[in-house]
Amino acid sequence: MNIDMDISVDIAGIVMKNPIMVASGTFGFGREYSDFYDINKLGALVTKGLTLLPKHGNPPPRTYETPAGMLNSVGLENPGVEKFIEKEWPHLSKLTTPIIANIDGDTVEDYQKIAKWLSTLENLAALEVNISCPNVEKGGLAFGQDPESAFQVIKAVREATNLPIIAKLSPNVTHIQTIAKATESAGADAISLINTLLGMAIDIHNHQPIFRRTFAGLSGPAVKPVALRMVWEVYEAVSVPIIAMGGITTWQDAAEFILAGASAVAVGTANFINPRAPIEIIEGLKTYLCLKEQNLQQLIGSAHGGRHLTY
Amino acid sequence: MSTPIVSLAEIIQNSEIAPDIYRMELQAPEITQKANPGQFLHIRCSDTVSPLLRRPISIAQINEKTGNMGIIYRVVGEGTQLLCQKSPGSRVDIIGPLGRGFPLPDKDKTSVIIGGGIGVAPILYLAEKIAQQHKNDNSITVLLGFVTKQEAFGIEFLESLGVKTIVATDDGTLGYKGFPTDLLDKYLKMHQDISRHVIYACGPKHMLSRVKTIAGGKNIPAYLSLEERMACGIGACLGCSVKSTQEGYKKVCKDGPVFEAGEIDLD
Repeated sequence: MNIDMDISVDIAGIVMKNPIMVASGTFGFGREYSDFYDINKLGALVTKGLTLLPKHGNPPPRTYETPAGMLNSVGLENPGVEKFIEKEWPHLSKLTTPIIANIDGDTVEDYQKIAKWLSTLENLAALEVNISCPNVEKGGLAFGQDPESAFQVIKAVREATNLPIIAKLSPNVTHIQTIAKATESAGADAISLINTLLGMAIDIHNHQPIFRRTFAGLSGPAVKPVALRMVWEVYEAVSVPIIAMGGITTWQDAAEFILAGASAVAVGTANFINPRAPIEIIEGLKTYLCLKEQNLQQLIGSAHGGRHLTY
Repeated sequence: MSTPIVSLAEIIQNSEIAPDIYRMELQAPEITQKANPGQFLHIRCSDTVSPLLRRPISIAQINEKTGNMGIIYRVVGEGTQLLCQKSPGSRVDIIGPLGRGFPLPDKDKTSVIIGGGIGVAPILYLAEKIAQQHKNDNSITVLLGFVTKQEAFGIEFLESLGVKTIVATDDGTLGYKGFPTDLLDKYLKMHQDISRHVIYACGPKHMLSRVKTIAGGKNIPAYLSLEERMACGIGACLGCSVKSTQEGYKKVCKDGPVFEAGEIDLD
């Protein structure tokens, strides 16, 4: 069987040799997983969320296992843009796979400053603008829950950079299509979804929430059906390409999201369970397409029937 | 730190050595070769997504000749419940060796090793490794603590190494009645020259906190092995944090699980 088939995809000018990416916050800056495989095999790598200044993150506990999922309250622990450029960019820039920087701000101005700073990097493929982190005091999710503020953040970043912009949306909203359209009209070149679902857990012995911030973000296979539904909805509302994430653990999951309208997918929590998950998904997807004798483009959104054929 | 390996290791043995405490022997020669005392395996207990996450379990014994490795774990939840039901001959998905282990003492040092409850597991391999290096019997003392006699394990193994082993139980059913940290206090009172001592400990957080206080008060270097719930186990998810005495947090899985006592804030 010819599994060297072409499954490359071009998303807003980001040329990827396959549609399998790794999701922000699950892959650090690429160092850890380099021990397990050649990470240049990935379609693209999305960095841990970056803020203007370093962030220490939230006090422990930060994770809690749930049925087929996990809650996290890491709180965007990261070295800040300056240290990122100094310590992480030198090794990231040597990779041949496209690197996408995930950025997060307390204010619209923060997003703009980070975008300008990162735009000076040669070879950075795109910015993923995180308007959906549930685990921080300011910014994050608040920007992604209101179409007007979502529009303002993306517009501000659009003015600050020529890099492709991916708006990362939160599932914690009533109308995902409204938010998606707002970011598209503000100049987003692609949309990624979903970030984690707000959840919580309670310690039944001491009668207190497990997490200091009470709520935390749910991820893993448990959220997949919700993510799939939202990708489906957004595909019907916008014409920019969609990058899907939310519980993708197997190539079958990836195929479902592509059929729902995703041009690419990102593996997140599954990295924690099976470090080689992205590689296995790439191989599985190639075989699937080969057996179906279809190319990737034909598959994207094809579960919608004739209702929405192009973007 | 060596590169971790993913292995489908064959289970050689899996048996209950004390109520709810199991010893599993695994064949994973490539991991065995690299493992240092204090490092751990990240074990997938289920073939499905329930429970989803791997379980970090410390390496308790290494047999360099057979390439086999022993782990000792307590059945506390869904994951370890599944693990204890696995039969010899079947395989288990493990990643290891992970984390930063115990730094071995210089040849002229005297080691005092404290283990509490299931925290005794990594102590066994540490004591063995130190005993191999130091021929002098007086260079290691192991202080163990258990809730009660029934839950005690590892004592025979340590004695077979010729290591001086003193046991405490909370209820006094075996050895001294009290905590292993009481034994540490007594030990340090009895020994005048403690300048060449080094302390190693693994056990519940309150025990480690007490060891840190005792060691700090006498200016003895101490290395503490922490236990924390983990997701990735390799330093990517930032989910298993402990407060640093400098600023921010340290990752238990990658910066630890063994820390120099001064590096971390246990309060």
